Amino acid sequence: MYLEGLGNTLLIALIAAAIGIFIGVTMAMINYINKKTGKLKPAAAVCRFYITLVRGTPVVLQLMILYFVVFAFWDNGIMIGAITFGLNSGAYVAEIARSGFESVDDGQMEAGRSLGLSTWQTMRSIIIPQAVRNCLPPLFNEFIMLVKETAIVGYVGIYDLGKIPGLIQSRTFDYLFPLLIAAALYLVVVMALTRILHMIERNLAKSDRNRGGVRNGK
Amino acid sequence: MENNVLIEVRALSKSFGELEVLKSVSVDIRKGEKVVIVGASGSGKSTLLRCLNCLEDPTGGEIIFENENLADPKVNINIHRQKMGMVFQQFNLFNNKNVLENIMLAPVTIRLKRLRTEKRRALFKKGDKPTETKEQILAEEREKAMKLLARIGLEDKAEVYPSTLSGGQKQRIAIVRALAMNPKVMLFDEPTSALDPEMVGEVLDLMKQLANEGMTMVIVTHEMGFAREVADRVLFMDGGVIAEQGTPAEVFGAPKSERLKAFLAKVL
Repeated sequence: MYLEGLGNTLLIALIAAAIGIFIGVTMAMINYINKKTGKLKPAAAVCRFYITLVRGTPVVLQLMILYFVVFAFWDNGIMIGAITFGLNSGAYVAEIARSGFESVDDGQMEAGRSLGLSTWQTMRSIIIPQAVRNCLPPLFNEFIMLVKETAIVGYVGIYDLGKIPGLIQSRTFDYLFPLLIAAALYLVVVMALTRILHMIERNLAKSDRNRGGVRNGK
Repeated sequence: MENNVLIEVRALSKSFGELEVLKSVSVDIRKGEKVVIVGASGSGKSTLLRCLNCLEDPTGGEIIFENENLADPKVNINIHRQKMGMVFQQFNLFNNKNVLENIMLAPVTIRLKRLRTEKRRALFKKGDKPTETKEQILAEEREKAMKLLARIGLEDKAEVYPSTLSGGQKQRIAIVRALAMNPKVMLFDEPTSALDPEMVGEVLDLMKQLANEGMTMVIVTHEMGFAREVADRVLFMDGGVIAEQGTPAEVFGAPKSERLKAFLAKVL
């Protein structure tokens, strides 16, 4: 049971992270291009509205609205949970990615454009790789938050790791151990993830070790 | 002489909000000419240079380059920028690319894009099959980049990242990066202002070489000695207009306006 719950938790977190990164990076890019070229104004306004809305309301309510209203016809709770958290984390990732883009020196875009590259060509080869590296640590943080926060899906009856102790309690009347076991499992997963993410980060930094650890050095 | 004009600037103006930085500036840049722009900070000299390749969009006037008005937003500026090299005060080498990749990136990206377009056209029988391949383009550009690096004596730095280089090395690489596009004109925006004094010479030497090879150059600089030596014409900018212009001997030797005299008194 614990393993099934753990599997669901990780599944929801993974799908949510994929959706979140896609939405977040897209929104941050729209915002960045709008700022640099003045195009895409309406799209940037929509993004701002979305971020305000999502960050301004509790995720429990968002989950309930999606589960009981928007997707009322759909009984795949895990997918609905993943979509909810994806949409939610998209708004946060957008802010993380925005700071990543802003940490890239303006001269990088100017240099690319001055050589005759288009905005998109410069974004792809120069701006995005630098922005991604600069926002990796907070992005990983967001992912770890997702793993734990998704426990909220228990509210709408999805069996994830956070829900399991309650189930076991109702059968065995043992309160302490199920909670401890679930907590330990979360801890192990998060520690393992932290290790993996650190390794990825180090690997990415290796490609230009010559930078000598200076993140935004010119 | 007239048909030798490479860039024709007509009544160019540029405002940042309320602030009018350029006030109807007109100037011709002729093929092979070395034009040095001097003036106090805030006089509009960098803005004028950056308007030439539309890094700043002009708010009025025309920039005629190869029979097209670059100030017109409908013109595909990217194609024209490929023929106008630009060198920045802060070098602006790509931090995530090594030196060789810095030089190769733009020509390779642009040629590969053209290759894909040609392939697509050939597929729909709208054109001939391209004769070159991706591998050829990469090999050619690599060879060209290595030649450019050899020219500045930095072949051994091909694989290193910009952060390990000195300012003078970075700027010389930035110059050859622009040359890799085979530009018709080079724009220099205070290329030595961010350098330590002992590195100014190596950058100016490279610029002098370019000048001797007949490259058309527009240079914003505070290096008056360099201006005197290299320039065919010196423009003195003040308050958003070209206040005075002439040969270095005229501008430095016999300044007419009071403002130019005051400026020279400060910098010489």
